[in-house]
Order: sequence, then structure tokens, then C-alpha cells
Amino acid sequence: MKLPYVEYEAPATAAEAVALLAEYQDEASVLAGGQSLIPLLALRLARPAVLVDINGLSELAGVSVADGRVAVGAMTREYVAEESEVLAEAVPLLAAALPLIGHEAIRSRGTIGGSLAHADPAAELPAVARALDAEFVVRSRSGERVIQAADWFEGYLATARQPDEILVEVRFPAAGPGAGVAFHEVARRHGDFAIVGLAVALTLSDGAISDARLAFSGVADVPVRGADAEDLLVGERPSAELFEEAARRATAGIDPPADLHGSSEYRKKVAATLVRRGLRAAVDGATHNGARRNGARQNGAQLDNPDERR
Amino acid sequence: MTQIAAERYTGASVKRSEDPRILTGRGRYIADVKLPGMLHAAFVRSPLAHGRVLAVDASAARALPGVVAVFTGADLEAMTVPGPDPLLAMMGGGGPTAEYSLLATDKVRFAGDPVAVVVAESRYLAEDGCELVDVDYEDLPPVATAAAALDPGRPPVFANLGDNIIGPRKRNEFGDVAGTFAGADRVAEFHIDVHRHQNVPMEGRGCVASHDAGSGVMTMYAATQGVHVTRMGVAMRLGLEPGKVHVLAGDIGGSFGLKIGASREELAVAAASRALGRPVKWIEDRGENLTASGQAREESFDVRAAFGDDGVLHGLDVTMVIDTGAYPVMGTMVPSIMEMMLPGPYRLAALGFESTAVVTNKASYVAYRGPWASETFVRERVLDLLAKDLGLDPLELRLRNVAPRTDPPRTMITGRPLVGVTTKESLERVARMVDIPAFRRRQAEERARGRYLGIGLATFIEAAPGPRAPGQPSGPMGLEHMRLKLAEDGMLTLFTGQMPHGQSHQTTLAQIAADEFGVPFEQVRVVVGDSDAVPFGMTGGSRSATMTGGAALHGARQLKDKVLDFASYLMEASARDLEITDGAVLVRGDPDSAVPVAEVARQAAAALVNTGQSDAGADVDASLEVEASFDGGEGGWSGGSHCAIVEVDVETGLVKIERYVAAEDCGALINPAVVEGQIRGGIAQGIGAVLLERSAYDADGNFQSATFMDYLLPTACDVPSIEIEHLETVPLDADVNFRGVGEGGMIAAPPTVVNAIEDALAPFGVRIYEQHLPPARILELIAAADAGG
Amino acid sequence: MVDITVRVNGATHTGSVEARTTLSDFLRDDLDLTGTHVGCEHGVCGACTIIVDGRAVRSCLMLAVQADGSEVTTVEGLAPDGALAPLQQAMWDAHSFQCGFCTPGFVMQATAFLGAHPDAGEREIREALSGNICRCTGYQSIIDGVLLAARRGREDRAPQARPA
Repeated sequence: MKLPYVEYEAPATAAEAVALLAEYQDEASVLAGGQSLIPLLALRLARPAVLVDINGLSELAGVSVADGRVAVGAMTREYVAEESEVLAEAVPLLAAALPLIGHEAIRSRGTIGGSLAHADPAAELPAVARALDAEFVVRSRSGERVIQAADWFEGYLATARQPDEILVEVRFPAAGPGAGVAFHEVARRHGDFAIVGLAVALTLSDGAISDARLAFSGVADVPVRGADAEDLLVGERPSAELFEEAARRATAGIDPPADLHGSSEYRKKVAATLVRRGLRAAVDGATHNGARRNGARQNGAQLDNPDERR
Repeated sequence: MTQIAAERYTGASVKRSEDPRILTGRGRYIADVKLPGMLHAAFVRSPLAHGRVLAVDASAARALPGVVAVFTGADLEAMTVPGPDPLLAMMGGGGPTAEYSLLATDKVRFAGDPVAVVVAESRYLAEDGCELVDVDYEDLPPVATAAAALDPGRPPVFANLGDNIIGPRKRNEFGDVAGTFAGADRVAEFHIDVHRHQNVPMEGRGCVASHDAGSGVMTMYAATQGVHVTRMGVAMRLGLEPGKVHVLAGDIGGSFGLKIGASREELAVAAASRALGRPVKWIEDRGENLTASGQAREESFDVRAAFGDDGVLHGLDVTMVIDTGAYPVMGTMVPSIMEMMLPGPYRLAALGFESTAVVTNKASYVAYRGPWASETFVRERVLDLLAKDLGLDPLELRLRNVAPRTDPPRTMITGRPLVGVTTKESLERVARMVDIPAFRRRQAEERARGRYLGIGLATFIEAAPGPRAPGQPSGPMGLEHMRLKLAEDGMLTLFTGQMPHGQSHQTTLAQIAADEFGVPFEQVRVVVGDSDAVPFGMTGGSRSATMTGGAALHGARQLKDKVLDFASYLMEASARDLEITDGAVLVRGDPDSAVPVAEVARQAAAALVNTGQSDAGADVDASLEVEASFDGGEGGWSGGSHCAIVEVDVETGLVKIERYVAAEDCGALINPAVVEGQIRGGIAQGIGAVLLERSAYDADGNFQSATFMDYLLPTACDVPSIEIEHLETVPLDADVNFRGVGEGGMIAAPPTVVNAIEDALAPFGVRIYEQHLPPARILELIAAADAGG
Repeated sequence: MVDITVRVNGATHTGSVEARTTLSDFLRDDLDLTGTHVGCEHGVCGACTIIVDGRAVRSCLMLAVQADGSEVTTVEGLAPDGALAPLQQAMWDAHSFQCGFCTPGFVMQATAFLGAHPDAGEREIREALSGNICRCTGYQSIIDGVLLAARRGREDRAPQARPA
């Protein structure tokens, strides 16, 4: 599975990068972490004429906080984001999802921006971005524009990014007091893409849910907000019956794809299970000392060896 | 690091001599072979499951800079000798054979069928060239399932066969089938399916072929389980004398039955190298390996069971269909092994068996670790189903069915004597390793809390090598040959046709030889992988522990006798008074007399060269070499019982294996760590088969599992720690009681895990008649059982 | 063609490569470092794992040109010729491997992991290595090797007992 012939450019600055994209437009693929693009090239499913390698754009890496928002540079490596105490504190849902992305070696190279620009609907970060109404900052030769998460994900591996634009930054709202999160996924094995995943972010105020955000991965060709469930939850006190009804509403309108790993029916059932479990976990998180990260992956044959060997 | 001279190496977990190179990346695998002037091959492959090839236009590919040649199916027909698949020809399977060509000529018969081979300066360029080969196909309706193959209305995949049934087999009966069924308390009927899955070694197939026009020798660097079988295959199809083919193999990255003989692609590459006068390398990529190298296990069974109210299984009547894919190879031979093995270690009194092998538009059915394994799956599943029908404990049911060990041994209804079988002991041992009553209590408590745990067990026997048939002149697996030599440098050198691909032969055979001959482990060298140097043989069928271990044991003794005879002249002592200990020949009881073995070897070499000028004298046999053969001695069965505890998440269908234990009997252990590694690896593959692995085709014969995103292999989070206990074996032979262990784990694990899952889902009334249970399927089974009442 | 300079196992190499050449192929074909194995070429099996700038990466998912200016360690570079690094020794002692094809990937991934998590227990080690596929061993012996190396590492770091 050898890559097809490609031309190669390695711009040193973002300005150079967008100039190249202005020239090549949709004949170029932007190479960030490469963990998604290189397999596509190896399978000869992607056939760009030129690779624009933006790994030299160190100006696009880094995490900063301003005005209650957390700006994550697009070239921030996933492992760096995973180790970031700022993110753990301020965007706990992102922190919960990051360890579930593939395996450590993938996160050594994969980037926050790369994953979101690739927009695989079964991936973790698109669901997180959709749940939190993240903002996507893209830049072209003509300047910058900001795209809301609801508008960013257009279809399977398709985003609102134009061929002459690069994603430079993603902005997440900072979690406030009373926040609780959960990121759960059902995958065949540890580290696999989810069959179905769910990002949950809640806020509890005086024991009632004052804010609720749910976003699924793996149930459509884009991440899907559980808006009907969110409407139900806001203002209510958590209970098993509430979660059950939320699960029903969140999955009523979805028509998941079928593939080798699960039928549409199966994905729908699992999605409902994830809502129940995710809401319970997020409420637990919110209840204990404010915002706390709570990520778990439920996948096949995970070990639970009580006699942990050392 | 020198091994401490233990009492004996045999039976100890001696550290592997293979490991220093393996651990430091200095192994030599086929992809590592580089020859001057070497070119690279890639194959154009059919995207269709079934089609006519109307035209192949390679002109654009040939014009690409860096592409040296493109050969089509027609080109290769002209460059090679027509005939059947070489392995099939050598095994003499009998029955009708499908047309066979190295590359597809007029028809493509499975998605991935090779149509042309592009040879270029690099693999990158060869793949570029493949994209430029323009093939004009005419779609034909695919025969994508066994049911379609059995339908006489469907067009034949092979015109010369007339239909798609390649192995019509007449019914065989053993014992009084009709009477047994008529007289039984109960008769139950089941349909059981085993799904298609495959070997998937971490290293795919590959070769480097290099033909030397001057000498006429074709050198094949191969990844193979037997250099001689590959040699014969290449000779056969390329029209070369077998002596003009030289096969070399280094380290091999796993095989599990896949890399035997010479595949169509390897033969095409050999022919290309001969035509071009340059070495040509082909390394199969993962897509090719999954799509085209071959698949296994797609079998279905209609089973009738005649049994008593007490749970004793008196008779089985089985009708089997095996899907051998396109270009059938050894799949047609699998049913007869299954038939023989179906009674297992039980008291079965009657067996009816009938099988049909069909051709479909899928990759060829190939041998995969215990190719007959479905017989254990079917039998152990049926026993659990019967236990449920009768309300009996599955362990108790099995104990009632196990054939007692008698003298003379009880014979399976299909003819093989159950000599030395320790099934009862292994079942009882498993029951001690797992406190089953305590588990049942925990299971009940957890069910009340909405958690579903289950326990399953299964038992098996394997003819590794199998018992010697009484009165038979030859042993159970033919003859194993070995050449042993005391080399001039003092190294005890073993030449064997075994071709290790993970079995650690270079360590285990050295252990045996070192013990029998009397030298330290480090003073033994095991030579494999050179068809000019090693005797005929191959690795497979779990034969090597007995057959090759025995050849090493007896051969080392024979060589020692010869060395002592020669030494007796050197040392002026009677051979009867000499021994070899710790690498030196000495007069027994006189340590000062010790002469290092290396010195004896040097003297012998000198004697051979300058006859009369050695201390040994002119009439002494100084060739310190023997050719040993071993016929397996008394042979014997391997076997064991496995038990697993699982938890099923009934909301997601995910299965966690909480505990897995195995009580095994593979005779005397040569190297316990090696034995346990083989068992655990086989169990991992069995777990993979049930929970993760499927070679999937859609209704049009399109292959859907062509990457590791879709063909899922078990990882370190999927395979639990496996507890293994070794049983005290019944020694049958005076010297050689090692028995094979390579395939047993993979035979016993699938029914063990499926039995446990069914037990976990018992509250839902689930019954399982299949082997592949991904999460979605588990939820379907629960829903169907709910719906069914 | 792109000119690159890479430090591999302490030695500087310059080369001229097509952009599409993977780092795994560059190491194996251009530098003759065939210890890094190629098992799938789509980033799932982990056989190609090496260490780049201190992090374990899948060399089949990097282009050689992306390693320009980087510090690369392959399995051949873990110990001087003929020697074994402590992890390799532990894996030998624990009978970790069979056919050996997955071995370099496991060795490199485990080296990186233990370097960052020297006190890891079995569960963490299994998770950390769950991205490396082995078809032969069922993993237990590999985990045993890593645990043994970790234990020996702790013993080495433990304060020496004072003589009485």
C-alpha cells in the first residue's frame, strides 16, 4: 500500500501556507498530524496533487485562555493537549475524550485541528466540539473568519473549510462551577473508533440541571446534538426516569448507518444506553467538587483484574 | 549468556537462542532480503467477484518510467507449465480439480484475483504501474454464498467442473446409526454455522526470486513452512528439475498454516524473474493478505444427536457444507479429518457423516491452525445444548460421556484408539482450578443485580501425532528425517526440514540434542531454511514435538555412538567405557581423561582429509555424521480442557473475559515456556474468532474486511491472563513422549468462550448455533429469544 | 525529490527522497535498518513503531521528509552492538516473543511507555500496548517482560541498604 506520487510543500509560516492553498485550491491536501491522511493516501483513496505540510507552523500550536474561552491552536498535538493542566481544568470534556483517541503513538503526532478538519463522524473530537459549540477559526489569504460548530460539520469528512483556508485555532468555552462531563464510547476494542460515542456536558445549580449538552459520534455522517433531550433536561432534577426519557428523545430522531460493526438498530440501542450512562456519570462529576473529568470507554473485553500485578 | 548446566535442559524453560537477534531487530525476514539489481512486483487484482476478462491493456503501464515489465495471465501461461495447484498435486486430494492458472486469464473468480503482475524499480512504481493497467471486465452474477453454490441453476465458477460442487462425498456410517437413533431416549436437531475467518500472521506472504541463467538455478527466498514443499512447487510449475531450485528461508513472521508450498503470486514472481534475468521481490501488503491470501473455517453443519435421558450421547449424524472459495486447494480434504475426529474422547457409539465442498467467488479456503477444529466446536456446543435441554451441569454431562481409559484402549467409532487420553483428568483439573459452585453462587447474586456472568468449558483431543495404529508398520505421521553432525568446530549441528515460524525449534531441538549427546546447549546449532542443506520435512500439523523431537533424541544417540567409536581409537579405550559429559569425551570415572568434543571433531576432520596421519588410524570411520529417521514411536494424543468466565453487557453486547484457565496434556514438555506460549497464542486466536474476527463478503462477493479497521485482531486488552496447568501425562513410548501443542489452543477456545456466553445469557433463553458473536449479534440473540418467548 | 537530514541512532544521515516515501520505508530501504517492520501500512498494527524526538510514533504514518531535522531511535539503536537494553533482557528472560515480527514495535512502544511511566502496573501496560498487535503470543508473556523490566528498574532505583 504505497502512497501515490504527490508534490510536497513545507511552508514555514501560516502566510506561506495560505498562499500555497490559494494557488492549489482543492488540488492540495493539508498535512497536519497525518494519522488520518496518510492511511488514506496509502490506500490511494485520497489523490491530492500536492501535500501542504503545516507541521512547521509552530505558531499554530499552544493552549491559551482569554475571556472565558480556551483557544487551542490547530497544530497542538493531541498528547500535548492530553497533558495540559489548563485544558483539564477549563475544558474537562475535551480532557475526558483525548485519552480515547487511538493509541499513544497516534496522539504523538495527531493534532487537535487535524482531527477536527478531517471530521470523521466516528471520532471523538468532533462530538466534543459539537457538544460545546466550539468555534473554528480559519484563515485564508483574505483574512480570518469564525465558523460555529453547528456549521462546521457539513457531511462525511466534509467541513465548511474552503480549499484555500487552513484551520488555525479552535475555541472552547471554559467550564464554570457546577460543571460535570462524561465522554463514553462503545468500541470493539480499546482505542478503536467508536461504534457510537457520546459527549455529555452538564451544569448543576442547586441540584437541578441548568445546562445540558449531548453530542453523538457514529450515528450520522456528522456529530449530532441531542437537542430534544437537552430541552427536556434543563430545569429538571436528575433521576433515572429523567435519563430514560432523555435517552428516548435523543435517539428518536437518529437513523444511524449500518456497517460491519453494527446495524442501524444496534447503534440506536447503544446510543440510548450511552445517554443513560453518560448522564449519570456527568451528574456524578458535577456533584463532586465542581467540574471533574470523567471519561470511560466501554469496549470489548476490557480487563478488570482485581489482582493488579506490579 | 551461558545457560547454567542444569541436570537436563529438556523440561526446563531454557531461554531461546533466537531471541538476541529477534529482540534487537536483527532477524532476517523476507522483506529484509535485498539483492543487487532487484526489482519489485505488484499485482493488478480484480475488483469483481466474478467476471470475464475481455481485454488487458498494459501499454500505459509499460510506458511508465521505472516499470520494467508487465505480465498478464496469458503471458504467464506461456512462461510456465500448466497443471493444478502444486500443493493440491502433492497432497493428491483426489476428486475433480478446478482449472488453475497463475494469474486469471479468461475469468476472474474472486475480488482480489490477480490479473497481471507489474515489475518495476520500486514497489511504489509497481503500484503506480498497476493503476495504469486497463482491464476490461464483463460482470458475471456472483456465486457469493454456499447456498448459491449448491443451487444448480447458478452458472459454474469453473466451466470444467460443470457445477459449483467440488467435493461431493458419499455418506459414511460408523456403528449402527439407524439403530442408535431409533433406540435413543431423545433426538435433537441443530444447525450450526462457523464463520469465515483467517490466519493473519503479522508478516504476510512474500518471496524474492532470482534465476541464474548460467547455472539454470532458481533461488527462491521464501517465507514458508517447508522449503522443500516450496521447492517442489516452484519446480513443478516452472518446469525446472527439482534439483535446480534452491529455496532459502530466514526468520518467518508467523504463518498458522498459510505459507505452505508456493502460491500463485509467488510462482508468477519466479517466472517473471526468469524472464527478466533479474531478482524480483514481492511482499504482500496487508490488503492483499486479507483479501487474497486465503481464508478458512466457513463451514455449516446440520446435526442430529441421539442421546439418553442421562445425558450420554450415543450417536451423531452430521451433514456438512464447506465453502472452499474460488481456486480450491486443501479445503476439500478437511471434512474427512473432521469425520474422523468428531467422536472426540467420548463414548459415541454411532456416527453418520456426509459432506459437500462447494466453490464460491471468494478467496481460497486455506489451512488455518487446526483446520478440522470445527469438529470440536460442533461437538462441544452440542453437549452444552443437550445439557440445557436435560437440565444437567455441563461438566457432569461431559464426565458421563468421557470414554474411560482402558487397556486395551477404547477405539473411537471412526477407528483411532484413545490410548493415553487424559480427558477425565483434565476436566477434573479444570474443576479444581475454578471453584464452579462458588461461581454459580456469585452468578446468581450478580444476576439479581442485573449483571450477566457465565461460565463455559470445552474439552478436546488432537492427534499430535496421534497413536500408532496397532500392527501398522509406520508411525502416525510418516517419517521425520534429520541429519546430525559433529562439525569441525565442535558444534553439534542438526539439519532439519522443520521451518520454525514462532515455534522456537532452534531452542527446543537443541535442548533435546544437548541432553542426549552431552554438550552444553550453546554447543548445539540447528540449521533450517536451506533446501540444499536440510532433509525433507515441513512444519505443520503439530508434528514437530514428537516427530522432530524424537528424531533429535534418537539421532543424537546414534551420533554419540559414532563419536565414541571414533574417540575410542583416539583415547585407546573401549567405547563402552566412554561417555560425553559437558562437552567432553571422557573415560567414565576418570575426569582427567577428558578430551573436548571439539578436539575429537578436529581429529576426525583431519583423519578424513589425511587418511593415515590422524591418531585414529586408517580404517576408522571418521565421518561424524548420521542420518536419523523417526516414525513417531508410539505417538499419542494431546488434549486438554479449557474453562472461561465471561461477563456480557446486555445493553451493548460487549463481552469481557474475566478468567480463562486451561488444563493441558501435551505429553512430556520440552520447554514449558514455549508450550505455554503456543497455548496462549492459540487461545487468543480462538477468542478473536468469537468476538472480533470475520472475513466478510457482501451479497455481491465484494470483500469487506480488507484493512485492520474492519478485520479486527485481539489486542492486549482483549486477551486475559491465561492460567495453565500441565497434567501428568501417560507415557506411551520408552523415550519420546513429547506431543504437539501448536493447534490445541485454537481448537478448544472457541467452544469454551461460546459456551460461557450462552451460559451468561441463559436467563434470556438464548441458544447459540454460531461461532461469531460481535456485540450487535449478541443483542440480536437476546431480542430474538425475548420475542420467541 | 526532497533533501533531508535525520539523526538515526546517533548517526547523521542525509538523503534525497520522494515526498511520498514513508519514514518506515526510508529507514528500511535507504538506511538498511530493517529492524523496523511493516505490518499494515495503515497505522493499526504498531509493528513499525519507532521513537522520534522522544515520542513513540508509527513510522508508516510519517513521511520521511517529516523527519528532517529530527532525532530518531529504532530498535537497532537501543543498545550498542551485541548488548541488550534492560527491557530487551527482561523480555528475553520472560520468553516474551515467538515469531518476532511484532517485536521491534513492542520493544519501542514499551521503551517509550516505561520511560514515562516507570511504575505502571499490568492494566496500564496492557492499555499502553493495546495498539501493538501480536498474533503469536496472546500477549501475556510480553506483558510479563515489561513488568519484569519495570520491577528491575525499581529495584535499581531503590536506595541501597546500608551495611549494618
